[in-house]
Amino acid sequence: MRSHDQTVHGQFDPQAEAYRHSAVHAAGPDLDYARTLVAGNAARPEQALDLGSGAGHLSFALAPHVGHLVALDPAPNMLAAVVRGAQERGLRGIEVQAGSAHSLPYRDGTFSLVCTRYSAHHWVRLEDALREAARVLTPGGHALIIDVIAPDSALADTHLQAVELLRDISHVRNRSVREWRELLGAAGLLETHYRQWPLRIEFASWVGRMRTPQTHVAAIRSLQASAPREVREALVIEADGSFMLQTGLFWLTKPPHPASGPRRPASAPP
Amino acid sequence: MDARLLEILACPICKGTLVYRREAAVLVCRLDRLAYPIRDGVPVMLEEEARQLGADDPLLER
Repeated sequence: MRSHDQTVHGQFDPQAEAYRHSAVHAAGPDLDYARTLVAGNAARPEQALDLGSGAGHLSFALAPHVGHLVALDPAPNMLAAVVRGAQERGLRGIEVQAGSAHSLPYRDGTFSLVCTRYSAHHWVRLEDALREAARVLTPGGHALIIDVIAPDSALADTHLQAVELLRDISHVRNRSVREWRELLGAAGLLETHYRQWPLRIEFASWVGRMRTPQTHVAAIRSLQASAPREVREALVIEADGSFMLQTGLFWLTKPPHPASGPRRPASAPP
Repeated sequence: MDARLLEILACPICKGTLVYRREAAVLVCRLDRLAYPIRDGVPVMLEEEARQLGADDPLLER
């Protein structure tokens, strides 16, 4: 029986080229905003880390605005796609390393920017990964987190997680803004900005990119056909199965003083 | 292996210092006795890809 990490690897490693050329991943208002935030930062980040870089679209957007950037991903073919993409764009200063977001292979306080885009919903140990992100940040450093945001409605959320899992068996969870804020606060990261954009998902390319089996495609279509009005409205489900997701962007700071560091939830033991 | 990269890398498990063994193309954590491979110049810092070293493995020598 395969572990989750092996499942993620099996799903994404053969699809590196599809992700390198995916329009949904290669552009977007979130990517433009991320670029603006990093370029507009008072201090140019000297060392940056892209967690779960995939084919490297966030790395490519940010590399011109940072000193050095490390793209980290467990899938070797994705890392090879990052190297090819960087060469095509004439980008220097991007290094690739294989690793897991929940066990980062870096010393404390190494990076002044840690970023991630459309990856965290695959992380089986998100709490550990966020704690690790905070650990490797320099005090006063920034974290930039972009991912699909779950709807506030539990009904629409359950539908979304079901179709996400049918489409990609390595899917773990999309978190709501409220869930994200709890997790980020527990990791000791302070939110400075939050923005959200609608993201239209074109059905055929969405399942094509992941080589979703026909039985699962049929199950998704069946779920969509029987979805109640509230779900259809929340996800703007179209006749061909295309629908609307929300992309969220958090810009956070690691407090410069350890005294204002990690907070624990009130219910947790000291 | 870039010296600057070696400076920032640590064992993903214990976060301790790694030793670069050029001849074997590995990064060694003495504490965990693990050798992380470097494949095509890319450090593979995954526990499941690391090789467990015996106590007398020459890669652990100082």
